[in-house]
Amino acid sequence: MPYRVVLVEGDPLMMDKLTDIIQNSPEFELVATYSRYDQALGQSAIHNPNLFLLDLENPILLENLHNFAKNFPKAKILGTISKWSEDFAYKASVAGIDGCIIKPFTPAEIFSAIELYAERGKKAPPRIISFFSPKGRAGRTTLAALMALHIARKSDESVALIDADLQFGDLPIFFDIQPEHSVVDATHDVSLLTPITFKPYFHKLSDRLYLLSSPDRPELAELVAVQDLINVIAMAGDIFRYVFVDLPTAFNPISVGVSEFSDACFVVSMINTNLEIIHMKRCLDMFEMDKHHGRKIYPVFTRVNPCNEEQREKMSLELGYDITAIFPNEYSLVSTANSGQILRHVFPKNNLMIQNVEKIAEQIMSNKM
Amino acid sequence: MKGQLGLRQSATPKTQVHHAATHALQSDGRSSVIISVFSTGSGIGKTVTAINLAASLANYGHSVCLVDLDLQFGDVVNYLRLQPNRTLFDACNDYKEDKKNFHIEDYLTPYTFETAGGNEVSFDVIAPPKTIYDAYTIEVAVVEKIIKRLKNFEFVICDLSAVFSALNIAVLDLSTVVNFMGVIDFMPSVKNFKLGYDTLIAFNYPESKIRLVENRSNSQKLISGSDVERVVGAKFYYNFPNDFPSASKSIREGKPLLAVAPDSALTRGIQSLAGMYSNRPQIEIEHVGAPSIFASVVKFVKDLLGIKSLAR
Repeated sequence: MPYRVVLVEGDPLMMDKLTDIIQNSPEFELVATYSRYDQALGQSAIHNPNLFLLDLENPILLENLHNFAKNFPKAKILGTISKWSEDFAYKASVAGIDGCIIKPFTPAEIFSAIELYAERGKKAPPRIISFFSPKGRAGRTTLAALMALHIARKSDESVALIDADLQFGDLPIFFDIQPEHSVVDATHDVSLLTPITFKPYFHKLSDRLYLLSSPDRPELAELVAVQDLINVIAMAGDIFRYVFVDLPTAFNPISVGVSEFSDACFVVSMINTNLEIIHMKRCLDMFEMDKHHGRKIYPVFTRVNPCNEEQREKMSLELGYDITAIFPNEYSLVSTANSGQILRHVFPKNNLMIQNVEKIAEQIMSNKM
Repeated sequence: MKGQLGLRQSATPKTQVHHAATHALQSDGRSSVIISVFSTGSGIGKTVTAINLAASLANYGHSVCLVDLDLQFGDVVNYLRLQPNRTLFDACNDYKEDKKNFHIEDYLTPYTFETAGGNEVSFDVIAPPKTIYDAYTIEVAVVEKIIKRLKNFEFVICDLSAVFSALNIAVLDLSTVVNFMGVIDFMPSVKNFKLGYDTLIAFNYPESKIRLVENRSNSQKLISGSDVERVVGAKFYYNFPNDFPSASKSIREGKPLLAVAPDSALTRGIQSLAGMYSNRPQIEIEHVGAPSIFASVVKFVKDLLGIKSLAR
């Protein structure tokens, strides 16, 4: 069954071009074309379309985009733009349509876009979640990996892990992969990419779980400018519904810039000498100064013993901030990560570390965090 | 940070890097020994080592200044329970304002402790900025100047953070030796230790400047020190014995090992290292071997590391 297409386009020349492309493809049946948004919204239903191609460069249409999503919940809706713009892409996700595509396009590109956005998951803005730690060895990467893994397994939505710990990123070794591309390539190329051409930069780890690796040499970290990295993360949000970013330790331009851009940031510290409470307090005071960015800050501690509610409350009191979660020490994770078996490892159901990770992941999935 | 690492590889010829000590001439014409304690992973005992190295050298009668250059999350002050009046932040600001009337002595926080044997031992500390915000404003070039002003000390110990930042690279340049530490119990740690070593070598530092130091060397673990030596391609200069209880006691009581655990293996290990850095005869350390309960996975990890292919 070919797609029944409604095309809305304000530019007559572009309209001719796109009409031609669609009509010459057996996979598509052009059921109506409109130059005006209100006619398209009012009259399309009669044609029973299942694919809309909407000109987002029409400001009135852009403003009313959510009405198409509301009136045609079963149809695929792609916004067409002549040059990639994260602004349009974000507005499209807020309006609840599938995504955007550059025009003019080929029939194959339409199919790629439909497939890419279907795999992404819910038609909603991405969740960009960053993982910060004052010092290394805090369990930051482990938490990010386990949460991403759980969401990819339990939801129908796709998850990206981006290793922004540019000098000493550990995610490739966690998953025992030798990636072809890294954050360095992605930031270098991002201005020329679209979601369709960007997705192959990610290494597929398992169903719905992808990784964009850190570079394999620390000196390559210098090639990454903060704004380019933010652009990479933004575009990842067009491809993946969840984007988890593992940040470099401490406050530096990358960790500050990316955590500001994220909508939630886990601040991870490991209890070892108890000086970590002091570090966490310094971090949270710093984030508090910066709170106008609107992201939510979630302090968590790993290697806590005893790991129970009473201890969490006691530590929160000492810290002066409410601790979101505490995690116990989990030795088996060390050998699991050592052997790169984290994807295949089956944790026992009663494992407290995993239970606590899953609790948080569930709250992220239900938008409670 | 931009540009620091990449440029290094061609820009710093071997013959030019070892001039650091000549910047810090003492009144009698000798130069300070600057030892930076560095690693490419945190939580591996840099601060414990830096503090106890300073304490041991001071106990040997040397004048020592310990500079905490982990500007955001430095623990020297927390560890030793110091309440510094002035920090590196004040020193940097005042230096910029008036170099001529700048006296480094005004920014030192003195620390004194009593060894278990009853000796009073002192060294000085330069504390890190009080807030992260202050830390952010510190300029690398000014820190370099301040370290050079410490020329009256026989030993300057710099406790660094675990990253190749502009500040750390500048201090590594200034250093006489780099005490490059690793705990080799975890695959990512091995990878980062090797990456760190390769990067230091790529800076064209003479190999003798980089002293590989393994911490917790005989703890239960999957990967042996000799395997790591083969992967890294260099020998450990020193291996600290595994002595978590002593380290932990020292941190808990907020005093150097010489005060709280004078006879422990770790105390003797650090004294021995201090002795090597100050040309003293070596103390014999008894390494207590811990049985490996993970023996069955050792082979797997070695395979993963590619050790099999590296013939002895």
